[in-house]
Amino acid sequence: MDPLKHITYYNHVLVRLPSNNLKVCELKPNSDVSLGKFGAFKVNDIIGYPFGTTFEIHYDNAIEASAPDAGPSGDAAQEGTSSKGARNKFKIPVGRLSVIESRLTANAAATGLGSEEEGTPQRELQLVGNSDSNKNLINIGSSIQKLSSEEIEQLKQQSVSSNEIISKMIEAHGSFHQKTVYSQEKYLKRKKQKFAKFFTVEYMSSSGLLQYLIDKGDVLRAMDLSEESMGMILNLANIRSNGTYLCVDETGGLLVYALLERMFGGENDSAAQGKIVVVHENEHPNLDLLKFSNYTEEFIQQHVKTVSILDYFEPPVTEEVKEAFTPLTDEQLKSLKSNKKGAYYRRLKWYNTQLEIIEWATKQQYDGLVVASTLHLPTFVPKLGERVHGSRPIVCYSQFKETVLELSHTLYNDLRYLAPTIVETRCRPFQTIRGRLHPVMTMRGGGGYMMWCHKVIPVGAADAALQPRPEEAPQGAEAESKKQKTE
Amino acid sequence: MSHFSEYKDLIQVGDLALVWISRDNIKPVTITAGETFNTRYGSFPHDDMIGKPYGSQIAVRTKGSNRFGFIHVLQPTPELWTISLPHRTQIVYTPDSSYIMQRLQCSPHSRVIEAGTGSGSFSHAFARSAGHLFSYEFHEVRYEQAKKEFEEHGLFRDGNVTITHRDVCHDGFTIKNTDKTTFFDGKSAEEAQQPACIGADVIFLDLPAPWDAIPNLDCVISQNSKTSMCCFSPCIEQVDKTLEALEKHGWTEVEMVEIQGRQYESRRQMVRHLDDALQRLRDVRERKQVGVERRKRMFNKIISDQEEPYEERPETPKTQFNPFGKGSRVKEGDSNYSWKEVSKVESEIKSHTSYLTFASKIVHKARNEELVQSIIEEHKDVTPESTLPGKKDKKQSVNK
Repeated sequence: MDPLKHITYYNHVLVRLPSNNLKVCELKPNSDVSLGKFGAFKVNDIIGYPFGTTFEIHYDNAIEASAPDAGPSGDAAQEGTSSKGARNKFKIPVGRLSVIESRLTANAAATGLGSEEEGTPQRELQLVGNSDSNKNLINIGSSIQKLSSEEIEQLKQQSVSSNEIISKMIEAHGSFHQKTVYSQEKYLKRKKQKFAKFFTVEYMSSSGLLQYLIDKGDVLRAMDLSEESMGMILNLANIRSNGTYLCVDETGGLLVYALLERMFGGENDSAAQGKIVVVHENEHPNLDLLKFSNYTEEFIQQHVKTVSILDYFEPPVTEEVKEAFTPLTDEQLKSLKSNKKGAYYRRLKWYNTQLEIIEWATKQQYDGLVVASTLHLPTFVPKLGERVHGSRPIVCYSQFKETVLELSHTLYNDLRYLAPTIVETRCRPFQTIRGRLHPVMTMRGGGGYMMWCHKVIPVGAADAALQPRPEEAPQGAEAESKKQKTE
Repeated sequence: MSHFSEYKDLIQVGDLALVWISRDNIKPVTITAGETFNTRYGSFPHDDMIGKPYGSQIAVRTKGSNRFGFIHVLQPTPELWTISLPHRTQIVYTPDSSYIMQRLQCSPHSRVIEAGTGSGSFSHAFARSAGHLFSYEFHEVRYEQAKKEFEEHGLFRDGNVTITHRDVCHDGFTIKNTDKTTFFDGKSAEEAQQPACIGADVIFLDLPAPWDAIPNLDCVISQNSKTSMCCFSPCIEQVDKTLEALEKHGWTEVEMVEIQGRQYESRRQMVRHLDDALQRLRDVRERKQVGVERRKRMFNKIISDQEEPYEERPETPKTQFNPFGKGSRVKEGDSNYSWKEVSKVESEIKSHTSYLTFASKIVHKARNEELVQSIIEEHKDVTPESTLPGKKDKKQSVNK
């Protein structure tokens, strides 16, 4: 079993609900996971299946009544009842699981219909007939549905299967036969999303984590980032497993997680030496979203280093640090009283951290700079860029074009930055049904903008005479500056 | 390590470097002692580059003038290579390739199939991130070119890239030692007896007829985990046929998308206030008035028959108020004027590259019951309410 490919205990996973929304779950052994109105299931029943598997939750009608101590018996896959059934009567009952082909078949369905032939309406629809157009359809609001919401609730209480509820609703619908077949299908899909009981377990990818934030309406916290911009940042910054990157992350750790995933692919025992130095604006870094990652504490400590902007730009002085503390030799340490050892190790940790900060802020040459910050970029980025090695990329993400524009103008006049460019990428999804392909009617508007350039080393100060002024275009760059300025 | 994968400090003999002349003129150069790199701005001896750090700007005095030409010497990256490479076919640009890699979760853990190789632009990006890249090219000349290029770029040195000459639509993806492939290079005769173990979980099909290749994938994709794929097709009719094949062969989570990438130039527009424009017109009108009145006087003298009607034309002063520098060449950004920073979309945009059709498949949606039962058994005493074991313990219990 590979925890990167199979559903494994203690891992955080994403669960995709029938509504297509994502939920983060930690898979504790022997526990139950509740998906609210979509049902509940036992973690033991999904362990070992490949990521991407879709499960359907089944309820035998008697299930709620019989809930004595069945205990988590060996054959969990067949075991339907919850051992703690009676404990909480508001608890969503735990269902039995079966693996199904795909989310689509879950939709079509459970009605026993596999992949539909082109042009054949779904089974529920075959019985009711439809209209070529909607010319006879008159909108009289919700009174067209004869079933009251109380009655529907009652059906749900009786654990009637979702398909039966939907069939009853269609029966009770006054003008269903006057809808076109397309609109009937949409109706079915909507209702199934509401009543269906299936879910898909997905690997915790960086895109998935972003999608989770979007579903939660929390994407502003992640600076309105989009999946396509995230991918673009990683590629433009040439992120690879052996680099040391300087990073500013105001997305709560999403960006750092995306870097980690690209560098190590979730592997805790990766031999790669890559590192991310995160410079943060507050006293403590906010990499909160890393709590959902499946990297171990040690792994994160080894590969993600954090330092505040104050420590980074005004690093401690080596002499002062060494003056304040001298590590003991092994022998001295042995003779140290045990009650003093704790204090000693605390000081030692402080000492090592200080030395590390000095290393990152004054010696390290970075293989890339990735910034997602709301600080004023034209003053911030050139200072960060100082420690980026020549020829290495710099990528700054912003929610707004104006801020990267201002940055790009600033860098354009700075000879240490080559060809700042503003880039934007947008993904346009299509309704992907044969014969009915078209771009979806609405989509999310986020995604922001990126500034991309490379750090360079201008002809040295010693050859000051050679120093090209940005104002007077030098010969070599002339073609480019023309393109920039006139075009 | 390859010229791409190693972060190099200094420019050294034998390196593949990219010389940046301008935004749309980037040239690959193999650094050789004694050689020169010629541009129309001057000749740059390689010896001036050797030993300098990557990213260095190199200056040279241009022939016949006292000005200098400048270039920058960069280390290649897949993205820079994409904008500089010699096109053998239509290439996959960064907005598309980066999205595909992100969506397919490309990482050191991925085993990637790419068909066909084409100009090798995407291959470089895959090679950077993937655990293994199996690239296929059916055009023999392009296969040889790509193989030579990968060799020169050192991609094979990292051991995670192989290329095979193959028409995957007719002959599938399986690689045997009788094939024209780099897969068995450096492998023992014994190892070469077995066909390559591919087990791909990321598939990228950039083929004219991906629907012919899709049926051949089943035996080379991961058998017990999820495989994700992307078909890259410019025409909507191709997408339709692809969808048909995907459905027929059990691929699910099918979605087609289109990526639109844009680049903007940073520009400046002069800030010209209405009041200044009005003042300028007033100024023009005032000076015009002087002439008008002179002519009026002359006309009156002629009418009244006075002698000497002619009046000396007065020296007209130059325009006094010229807030926008009219008539003179003003450079964008001239500090004597005020400017507004603006952005302008590039003059030619890539309005359509291709449609990206994504799908996924799990061949065996099953678990190893025996193994799972032993794991469940091992954890049977863990109560869900108990505090979690430390992350340290966790991995030991999980990595069975």
